[in-house]
Parts: sequence; structure tokens; C-alpha cells
Amino acid sequence: MTEGTEESTDERTSSIARGMTTKEAGRVQHNLQTAKRSHSEDKALLSKYKDKVPQTALDSVAITTSEHLEHISKSKKLNDYQKRSMQKRVQYRRKDKVIQARVKVHKTKRYQAAISAADAHLILNTQSAGLVEAEHDMERTTSLSQHELKHHHLDQQTSRQIYDLTLPHSPYGLKYDRSGRYSLLYGQRGHLAIMDATHLQLHRELHIQERIRDVSFLHNYTMMAVAQTNHVYIYDDQGTEIHKLNDMNDPFAIDFLPYHWLLTCVGRSGHLKYLDTSTGQLVSTHNTKLAGHNVLRQNPSNAVMHLGHANGTVSLWSPASSQFLAKLHCHKGAAVTSMAIDLSGNYMVTGGADRQVHIWDIRKFRKTHSYFTPAGVPQSLDLSQRNVMGIGHATHATFWSPEALLRKVKDPYMHHSVHGCGAVETLRFRPFEDVCGLGHGKGVSSIVIPGSGEPNLDTTEANLDPNQDKKQRREAEVRALLDKLQPNMITMDPADIGGVEDSSPEIRQQRLESLEATANAKNDARKKKQKSKKRGRSKIQTKLRRKSQNIIDHQIVKQREQKEEVEKKAKEEARQSSGESKPKSATPALQRFF
Amino acid sequence: MKVKALSRSQASTQRECSGDLRQHHRNLDPAYHPLQRPREYTRAVNAAKINRMFAQPLIGNLGQGHQDAVTHTAISRKSLLPLLSASTDGTLRLWDLPTRSCVSSINAHKMAIKGVVFGLDDDFYSCSADGTLRKWNISDSMSKIAEQIKPDDTWQIPGSFCSIDHHWTEHQFITASDSSVQLWSPERSTPIQSHSNLWGSDDTVHVVRFNPTEPHLVANCSMDRGIGLHDLRAGSEMKKMILRMRSNDLQWNPMEPLNFAVANEDYQAYTFDMRKLDRPTQIYKGHTSAIMSLSWAPTGREFVTGSYDKTIRVFNLIHRNGFAREIYHTKRMQRVFTVNCSMDNAFIISGSDDTNLRLWKARASEKLGQLTSREESAMQYRHALIKKYQHLPEVKRIYRSRKIPKVIQKQTSQAIIQKESAERKQANRIKHSKPGSYKFESERVRVVNKEIK
Repeated sequence: MTEGTEESTDERTSSIARGMTTKEAGRVQHNLQTAKRSHSEDKALLSKYKDKVPQTALDSVAITTSEHLEHISKSKKLNDYQKRSMQKRVQYRRKDKVIQARVKVHKTKRYQAAISAADAHLILNTQSAGLVEAEHDMERTTSLSQHELKHHHLDQQTSRQIYDLTLPHSPYGLKYDRSGRYSLLYGQRGHLAIMDATHLQLHRELHIQERIRDVSFLHNYTMMAVAQTNHVYIYDDQGTEIHKLNDMNDPFAIDFLPYHWLLTCVGRSGHLKYLDTSTGQLVSTHNTKLAGHNVLRQNPSNAVMHLGHANGTVSLWSPASSQFLAKLHCHKGAAVTSMAIDLSGNYMVTGGADRQVHIWDIRKFRKTHSYFTPAGVPQSLDLSQRNVMGIGHATHATFWSPEALLRKVKDPYMHHSVHGCGAVETLRFRPFEDVCGLGHGKGVSSIVIPGSGEPNLDTTEANLDPNQDKKQRREAEVRALLDKLQPNMITMDPADIGGVEDSSPEIRQQRLESLEATANAKNDARKKKQKSKKRGRSKIQTKLRRKSQNIIDHQIVKQREQKEEVEKKAKEEARQSSGESKPKSATPALQRFF
Repeated sequence: MKVKALSRSQASTQRECSGDLRQHHRNLDPAYHPLQRPREYTRAVNAAKINRMFAQPLIGNLGQGHQDAVTHTAISRKSLLPLLSASTDGTLRLWDLPTRSCVSSINAHKMAIKGVVFGLDDDFYSCSADGTLRKWNISDSMSKIAEQIKPDDTWQIPGSFCSIDHHWTEHQFITASDSSVQLWSPERSTPIQSHSNLWGSDDTVHVVRFNPTEPHLVANCSMDRGIGLHDLRAGSEMKKMILRMRSNDLQWNPMEPLNFAVANEDYQAYTFDMRKLDRPTQIYKGHTSAIMSLSWAPTGREFVTGSYDKTIRVFNLIHRNGFAREIYHTKRMQRVFTVNCSMDNAFIISGSDDTNLRLWKARASEKLGQLTSREESAMQYRHALIKKYQHLPEVKRIYRSRKIPKVIQKQTSQAIIQKESAERKQANRIKHSKPGSYKFESERVRVVNKEIK
């Protein structure tokens, strides 16, 4: 180990004191030194953490302005006493030294937290990601084949990850669990297999005599949801059917929100359904009003569901609102065939039947650029943890570097084709590994895409540890349940929860009142619209009768005359019968009294 | 071509044998920790729930209590163990707090005991309405044979004693009686100093308290609704103020001894700054009947009040809102006459009309005894979460919810209506009278009726 400067040796000794070995401490020191050198990189890292530290209530103290005071004094709703006390409160907040000191401490703490997180990032993230680099201008990374990779570049352990499985119940699809340890293979003609992707062992295999449209692991690999012909079923890892979800009928696509414990499903009728898997209750059902084949993906950063429709639009949904949160017209005159959203929730990639792949900035709801898929329609799309974009089009899988999300890149990063195996149905990156799984007409292929997986694990996050044992898994399950988020907390910006509202309490009150008024107005309108419908209006007999109501022909004239005659007779008879009881002696003037 | 792919060896991620510690890795990148804010908020809600679920403040009674209402308690300024309680039937009891058992029971006086206090050494004093004041020794009083327990000393005055307090550093004690405030030394049979007719008033002084740091400064409460300060060196009165109603107890803040708290008959407690007696620094509301007793936590940041409305409330100075942090009550507890905080800031002792002494936790949901480091860190994390999210309605609602007897709920809501009506009246008065003729008067200004110098 080389001798460092005095300062850096100090750092080393302090890190040794923290319980590290000298070797580790040396590594930390090295990291810190490199960090100091790349100052600009450091700044970017800091801003990354600073943005993520949300505002809290204390920040609002600084917001108070003279405008606020003026607003209160002009208000008509408050009486004099209330105005006085509110103004005083605003002034008091400004003058109060204790609060001001608290604000200061709080702000420094926030900043310090960001700095220490950025520092820790440099220290903790010891592993570097994989890469493929061309060594001279004549070389193209695209031309690197899996065969070449396997036999010339990779070590034994990683090269084992390149394989093809020929399976009978094709076409095949696959999904990985959140830790990347287990994969779920599903043949659309009823074959289901859980595989330990690390050890390349079959965990459990089962045959269902039904068509499988989609599958998803639930909170961990011990449970999975399967979208079959008529309903969604839940199986455990032994292959036992645990539940049949009658609420989710004719399912096309399913997905699981791990932090909310929500299973989402979209079916033939175009209804998006959310089911709480911890309680088994259907949380909400939204009618998207767009039936048919829909593409369903979740935004991992805020748990909003993205639905791609056959008319080329993508709508964003949360269980709390029956209306979509946003809608993007992504592909003009062509169906959305595939979709992927990156881990930070900033970019969405959509593939359409027009053979275009568009990159969207979800923060601005704007398309930044697009790519063309020459071989065919992009049937499957996925973004890896480090934002490598994989596109499956016809028999080809094309991979674009992370930079391709930010700006238009000329050449793809890597390429792989499954000749003679039919189209690539599913393409999924394996989390925390440089591996990508392809499901196609002949089975499943696994390929290695260096630089796609995140090298640094986080074992504190529930179910993100690929190497967790049984005890850890159980512990994580309980922790995850305790931290389960309520379905109505899904919003476009999750940092809003517990944040600060900039407006004054009075404005807030006004807004609430206006909301209430509009809600009530809707109710009133609904009441007025209600008609009193009669039964049997649509009978053919009644309809004909109604039709002929005002037509006067000779038959009706005849009927009327007859009716009149009968009535006349009846009247006369009545008069005669009553006249019998009248005394004949009475004068005509008096007769009316009888 | 330069190629590098991830390759995790089994050894780097898995432990070799089951006895090894598990490997832990951290990746602080926010992208791998989505929904941080909602998750933290959910944890805060859960922390608030846990706080309320584990809130069991009552530890239990002390022994069998007394034969009659418990009116006074005293704790030693030196030791955590002993507690002294006095009853209206003239008996004193000495308790061992760790075992909650009665160590000795003394038939001290013929009439109700009006004050007990520990001395500097192994001794304590009691004074009674029958005009006797006795000094006792702890070790002597622990004798098993009742006849052997005899006072070290007895003083007799005509009339009756009202209150007693011992000096914080010297062997002196001060008493208040019908006629005067008297300073005594244990060596003498007559008082060293006697002050009567203070501030030209004949009214009885019923509470006297030595200041913890200023050795000659004494505060007192008198029956003419007054609170006075006087200096023993000059034997002269310094300041006096008259409140709207009489004060039942007065205690100096042990950490900031220029502040003191007053338990008043008008259902409120006040803290005053000694230098500025024209208005209280804060009004503490919530009780629905007269506050009988008050005691500071040794930190000087909280005080406990016992009230005639059968509840005990804990007020926090840091919250600065004047509302109780905690309210303790039980079905069987009657009018609370005395409360005391233990010197380790962990317990509260109350004595009430139902002849019982009760031991409470100072923080209702805290676990007693030694915590493991994991328990402690979890507890600290929960506290931090609640503190961070305490402004949010859900957390606030759960965290502040207390089960309160129906009577007190009703009385509280009535008090709120009364207060609102008074505010409205004042606002209307200002609005409809000639500008400048009426001035807005804050509640704090109205507390002190008169100041006498």
C-alpha cells in the first residue's frame, strides 16, 4: 500500500476505526481520492441526492411574505379577531428566533444528508458495471456475437448464462423476480416453470391445461399470479393453486406493485383492476373504455400503471382516480405493441405497430426522439437497471446503450438474433446481472449483455437480495407488509405526500369549498336528468297503438259514432230511472230540488 | 474488443457456514429505493400507532396507601429511593420506591398534615394544622416497634401551620402559618425570622418555597390571591402580584430557577419569569377543575399537575402551545391532591382523595428497564419519524388521541364554547365602539390583576 498524504491517512485510520480491514480502508481511501479528482462528477452525484431530499413543513416558514399578510387583511371571510390572530401568527413566525434557528438547523441537516449520501455512494459502490468497448475505429460492438462472448471473453461462471432452452409448449415468455434470482418461464400452451437463474436449476414445473397469457411473481418467488384463459390464478412455488380470482376475468396482462401489494390486471373488456394481495380485496376497477389487447407496465418510481392501447395512446392510471391521470398519443394510426419505463421514472419507451420506438420524457410528457426497427414490429421492449434498452423485433433483439435514451444514437450497442426460432415474444433483463432473457417460438434463450445490470446490491431493501436465505426472506416479507403503502397513495409525484403546500390556509379553504361546490353541482345535475321510465314502452303492440293514435279513418269514425250512441242511451236510461222517483206533482221550477 | 461482465462469486455474497454473520451491502442510489417518502410516512403512521398501543402509564399503587386522603408527598433531593406521604388523619408514611412497599408508618400529628419536606441529611420535617412541627430521622423511623418511633424535635406555635419548605443548601427551613412566615433553624426552639403583615395584608400565606439557587429568595402564595417574593436578608418584601383567583401551589423551575410555575384555582397553570411578573410567560390549559398540585420534572422542561378534576396532566415547555402532552386518569382515582416527579425523570407519583398513592410512567409508552441497543435504536427511529411527520393529520390524530372521561370531554367542549364566545364579544366590542376606545387585550395580559411593589 502506498503512503498517502497526511489528510488521507487520517481518513484511512478513521475508517479502520469504523471496523474495516486495512485492505478495505485502503480501497475506501482510493475511492475518496478519485472522487476528489473528478469534481464535476461529484457535483452531479450530489445534485442527484439533493433533488431526492424533499421539502418539509419547516421550509414553509421561509416562504412567508408580505403578500401573505396582505391577503389576510383583504379577506372577507375572516372576522376581525381571526384576521388579527392570523396576521400575528405570520409575523410571529418570522420574528421567532427559535423557529428560525430550527429552520437553519434543518436546512443544514438536509444538505449534510445529501453530501453524506453522495460520499457514501462513492465508498459503498465498490463494484463497477460491465462494459463492451471497441478498441479501434474499425471495431463495432454490435458485431460481437454471443458465441464469441461465451468462448473468448467471459469467465466460466458468466458464460454459463448463455444458453438456449428448447421447450415444447411454445411460444414462450419469461419474467424475473425483483431480486433476479428466480425466473418464471411460461409456455403459452400451458407450461409453467420456476427456474433458479443463478444456479440454473429447475425449481418447479407444472402443466396447466389452459392458455397462459401472462404471469407475474408476487412479493417474492413463493407466489405467482398466472393469467389463464378465463381467470387469473395464484399458485405457490410448489405448484399448488391457492386462489382463483373471479374478479379478474379474460385477463390479457398482469403486473404486481411490490410496495403496495397490488396485483393489476387488464383484460379483454379493457377494465383495469387492482387487487390487494395481502387482504384479497379488489381495490378498484377502472373502465379504460378501450377494449382489446393492451400493454401493461408499471412505472417503478411512482407505481403508476401505464397502459398502451390499440389506438396508439398510452394512458396513466392510479387506483385512486377513476379517470386516467394522463394520456399520451404515442403512435399515430398504429397500436402500441410494447412499452418499458426506466427505474428513475423519467423515461418511457414505446414500440408501435408502425415499427417505431419512441423515447418519451415523462416529466415533460414529450417525445424526445425515436428509433426505427427494420426487421419488424417491436413486439417486446425492456429497459435494464442501467438503462440499456432491449428491443425484440421479429427474430432479432437489438440493444441500445444507456445514452440512446438521452439522445439519438447512430449505432446499436449489441445485437442478437434467434434464427429459426420464430419471433422474439418477450425480452426481459435480469436484475443485478448482465443477463437478458428472450422468450421465442422454440423456447427460451438467455444471453449476456455486459453493462445492463446493477453491480451493487442493496440487502436492506425488501426482496432485492438475490442471495437471501429462508430466514431473511421471511423477515423481509414481514417488513414489507408493515411498510405496505395504501393504494390511494399512488400519485404522479410520490414526494408530494407530507410535503408543503405553498398557499395560505385561506386559499386552501377556498379551493376545498369550490371543489365541494362542483361535486355537489354534479350530483344535482344527475338528479335532474333522471327520468321516470315506464315499463313496456318498447312492446310492439304498444308501439303500433301509439303510432295509430291520431289517424282518423272511417273505421274510427264509425266506432266513435257507436260509442256516442251507447252513451246517449245510457244517459236517457239513467234520466228515466231517476225521473221515476220524482213526484209528478212537483212544478218544473221545484223539480230541480228532487 | 474490451469486454467486462458482472460475475459474482458465491464466496463474496454468501456466508461460509451458518454461524457466520450475513453479508450486507448497501446501494444508496435513490432509483433503487423508490417511493421513499410514502414509505417513510407509512412508517410514521405505524410508529404513532405503536406509541398509542404500548401506552400503559399506570404502574400500580404504592402498598395499601393511607387510611385517609393523601394530601402531601415529598421526595428526597439526594436519593431516588425514599418517598414520604402525608394524610389528612395525621399519619406519615415512608415508602421504598423500587419495591413500592411501605417502610414505616408514623402517627405524627393529631390533625391534618399540611406539609412534609426532606432535610439535607438523614431527616425530614412535617407540619400540621394542630400547630406542631416535627423533625424525624429516617433510620429511626424505620424501627419495627411503633412506640420507638419518636420525633427528633418538636416545635409548637399557636394556630396552625400551612406549608413548609427546606433550604436547598443550609440547615434552615421556612414555614407559613396563620399569622406569619417564619424561618427556623433546627438548633433553635424559636424562629430566626418572622414576617407578618406582608405587603400590608393580613391574609394567610399558604405556600412558601425557597429558590434553588438564590439562598435568600422565597416565593409565597397567599389567600388574597397573591403571589409574592421576598428577601430574607433584608427581611423585606420585593414584589407581589394579585391574580384573578388563588394559587394552590408554586414551584421553582429546577434548571432555570428564575422561572416558576403556579397551579391556580382557575383551572389553569402559569409559568412566570421572576423579573417580569406583570404577565405569565405561558398559560397552561386543559384541566376542568382547580389545579391542586404541581411538580417540575428534574429536566426543567416539563411539569406535572394534579387537579381536582381527577386527572394528572403533563405539560411540556418545548411545545409552547400550553396544552398538555399527556393526560392520566383511572376509574378509581379521585381528586388528586399531590403529584411529584421522581428525580430520574422516569416516574410520576400521585396522591389522591381515594387514600391511594399511584406510580405512573413519565412517558406512557416507554418500556421500563434496560433496552437492548436494537430496541433503543428502533425507538429513536420511531420518535424521529413521529417528530418529522407530526404535522400531518393522520399522524397527529393518532399520536394525540387520548381516552378521556366523558365528563371531562363535556367540560372541555363547554370551556371551548365559552372561550370562543368571549373572543367574539371582545371582537364585536372593538368593532362597534369608537376607534381607540377599546383595545385588544391578550389573554396573558388579563391574568395578573394587580402588581404591588
